[in-house]
Amino acid sequence: MRLILSGEEPLHWAIAGAAIGAITLILLLVANRRLGVSTGFENICSLVVNAPYFRRESILGSTSWRLPLLLGLVIGGFVSAAFSPGGWETTWDLGVFDADVGWGAGGKVVWMFAGGLLIGFGTRLAGGCTSGHGIFGVSNFEVPSIVSTVSFMAGGIVTTNLIYRVIV
Amino acid sequence: MDRMTAFYLVLGAVFGFVLSRSGAADYDFIQGMFLFEEFQLYGIIGTAVVVTAPGLWLLKRYGRTASGRPLKIELKPGHRGNIYGGVLFGVGWSITGMCPGPVLVNVGEGKLYALAALAGVLVGAGAFGTLYPRLIRPFGLPRLEVGTGEG
Repeated sequence: MRLILSGEEPLHWAIAGAAIGAITLILLLVANRRLGVSTGFENICSLVVNAPYFRRESILGSTSWRLPLLLGLVIGGFVSAAFSPGGWETTWDLGVFDADVGWGAGGKVVWMFAGGLLIGFGTRLAGGCTSGHGIFGVSNFEVPSIVSTVSFMAGGIVTTNLIYRVIV
Repeated sequence: MDRMTAFYLVLGAVFGFVLSRSGAADYDFIQGMFLFEEFQLYGIIGTAVVVTAPGLWLLKRYGRTASGRPLKIELKPGHRGNIYGGVLFGVGWSITGMCPGPVLVNVGEGKLYALAALAGVLVGAGAFGTLYPRLIRPFGLPRLEVGTGEG
């Protein structure tokens, strides 16, 4: 399988996995932080939403490191695209969704917004995502993280199989 | 910009680059994972855990950060939200082909639909925080000061 972004083969999984493990350990060793992306969305919310939940010390006190990390992720995607064959360009390409579902831009916007709602609400209800639970928490043998990881893998497996093996 | 801000930016950028080039931020690879047709993502996550777990064990034994401060790992609380939130997130991951890091990576790559996903994520997280006091009882969540866990 090739990447939608560039049509290139991906990095070998062992290299990518080892790099993510190294990033997790460097963040802890250098900055005493546990890796996690989804709380960063709450830090963004705390800039505009005034609810008591967003005024907690764990949010206000972590904005100075979570926002640069999140911005770095955007930059990493940009750099990856810029140094891929064809360079950086805007696209609506969505691989197998285009082939099998075939909705246009408007449909994709609604689909992605709906999925995003579930990601934002779900990761915060679970207390973490693939990075904070799936990689850090599981590596630290934390039971809530193992439970969350099994739950989100189950949710994804059922949904994708429903979409691509039952519905379309 | 102070040194630590630059550190987080660079670490995030390296993380984002790896997610982008490995298939972890690619709709087709995510569907392939959930369909059990592509080993790539299982290999990535599995290798990351295999590298991180012994590294964490060693760092905890060492007990200090690089600058000599005591190492502090805050454990996440357990609650029913782990299951319900996990399932909801899993459905969203399947729908968009993105988990939280890759939402941002896809925005950087120039994939326009990722902007809609990011808008949804922020509205979803904002709604969660705003509704938190009313979600405590049905989901057995920790009190507001504690939250569901940071990460």
